[in-house]
Amino acid sequence: MTIKKRYLRTVHFLFLALLLIQLIPNQLNTETYAHYVVWFAVGVEILTLLVSSVIKKPAGLTLFADIVSFIYGLLIAWTLATAKFNLLKPALFPPPGRVFWQLLGDYEKIITNIFSSVGIILQGYLLAAAVAILLGLLLGSSERLGSAATYIAKFLGAIPPIVYIPYGIALLPTFRSVSVFVIFLATFWPVLAGTMSGVMNVDKRTLDSARVLNVSRFTMLFSVILPASLPQIFIGCNQGLTVSFVLLTSAEMIGAQSGLGYYIKNYSDFGDYTRTLVGLIVIGIVIVVISFGFNKLQQYLLRWKH
Amino acid sequence: MSKIEINHLTVDYTEKKNSFTALKDVSFSIEEGAFVSVIGSSGCGKSTLLSILEGINFPTSGEILIDGAPVTGTGTDRGVVFQHYSLFPWMTARKNVAFGVKQVNKSASKAESLQIADAFLEKVGLERFKNKYPSQLSGGMQQRVAIARALAMNTDILLMDEPFGAIDAKNRTVLQELLLELWEGDGTSPRKTVVFVTHDIDEAILLSDKIVMMTAHPGQVYKEIDVPFDRPRNRAQLVQTKEYNKFRNKLLAMFYSDIVNKIGGEEVVL
Repeated sequence: MTIKKRYLRTVHFLFLALLLIQLIPNQLNTETYAHYVVWFAVGVEILTLLVSSVIKKPAGLTLFADIVSFIYGLLIAWTLATAKFNLLKPALFPPPGRVFWQLLGDYEKIITNIFSSVGIILQGYLLAAAVAILLGLLLGSSERLGSAATYIAKFLGAIPPIVYIPYGIALLPTFRSVSVFVIFLATFWPVLAGTMSGVMNVDKRTLDSARVLNVSRFTMLFSVILPASLPQIFIGCNQGLTVSFVLLTSAEMIGAQSGLGYYIKNYSDFGDYTRTLVGLIVIGIVIVVISFGFNKLQQYLLRWKH
Repeated sequence: MSKIEINHLTVDYTEKKNSFTALKDVSFSIEEGAFVSVIGSSGCGKSTLLSILEGINFPTSGEILIDGAPVTGTGTDRGVVFQHYSLFPWMTARKNVAFGVKQVNKSASKAESLQIADAFLEKVGLERFKNKYPSQLSGGMQQRVAIARALAMNTDILLMDEPFGAIDAKNRTVLQELLLELWEGDGTSPRKTVVFVTHDIDEAILLSDKIVMMTAHPGQVYKEIDVPFDRPRNRAQLVQTKEYNKFRNKLLAMFYSDIVNKIGGEEVVL
């Protein structure tokens, strides 16, 4: 890539624009903490320049620069609409600097809540995935059981898991156990259905190849059928993961005493919209990080496909 | 006693009330260390015959004996190469071969089976590609891996179901020669018994000691022909001899006379 292609990009002009608009006088009489925005932007800009100088693929750089441009653009619009021209209600829409300041101030509380939410998700999700994959392998190996179980899994999977919450509350002692139970159900059915569909659709020629090698039943199930079904299993796992997040944050907003959903609900009840925005941003980041990790795992385990 | 004895094998299929006979009273035998090709047009049941030998399909009547014992299922005495999908797509070339080795030799450690895999991949000229997945290899390379696996498993019998049927003409000749070279060996170890299904007459002549020609609807043995050429064979020299061309023409005439007879018309011009 030429130097021009590497460094002469819109994103850097947006960075400068973001710095320049800070010179416009504020129309808010509260503290805007604009220097937090500046430090954040400088950090992002350094990262962008670093990525620009090491990245190899032009398409990758364009994607990265476009995402950063979007963040800069959002910050510019947000700063102008709040601190600079006061177009939005300040109580509902605090300026970006305030949100950054609050994010750093609540650092410890936020980490605790992240651990609380992610802990519940992992517990319910991993347990459900493990049980569903194992059961799906066993049921799917029998054509008769697998066919019937596929319909049942589809039926039960179509019921929104949120309707199980009353049962969970009636049967289980704590909010945490109810959440794990609901996430378990939200993940279990799609993973079971995906696994069975994978197992039942393994290419007959692949099975024949394994049979002529005289493999044991155990090897057939775990070294042949399981990897062959993995693409379909991942479809179920993806679905379960998305639903789990929606469910948990919704549930936390209703009845929890901790977690990211609780953080948002609690502070919005007190009219603290700065912290509500902090919560929204943190949830977004947590979900993006987990999805990214999950996609990387999927890419690694399915690296043999194309 | 022959290595493989096929006795009065009949296979009837029933599909949606229509039943048809894939094999009808097929009998022949294969000596230990012989390379036997089964040749015939599509629908003659040659692949059905092989699947029964593999132990993944079962006859309606009749039986196959290996070393005098009837075949009742798959076994570690037989290595198989299919036309497609012999390899597991989620395993690299060497893992595929090592997996096969592990199935016949349960006591082999992981390191041992990988070592054997590497040695056989080198024999088929793929040492540089051993860490590639099947999807990263050409069709010809995939078949090389499948052959390496079948050989690495060191079974008495090799069963090959049109292994080069989907390979382009140039690569096919290369693979035929590779197989010939590996099977003929250097004379220090006994040759394996091979049953090779094909529809390519030149391929059958080059490779085989005996050719079993089959006819279709129903699948029956038409003729067993011994191939009279000495080993080790060299394609370039062989195809230039008068004997080869005479033999080839004789087989072609048989191959097509069967078709003409079946259609029953003199109007068929070849």
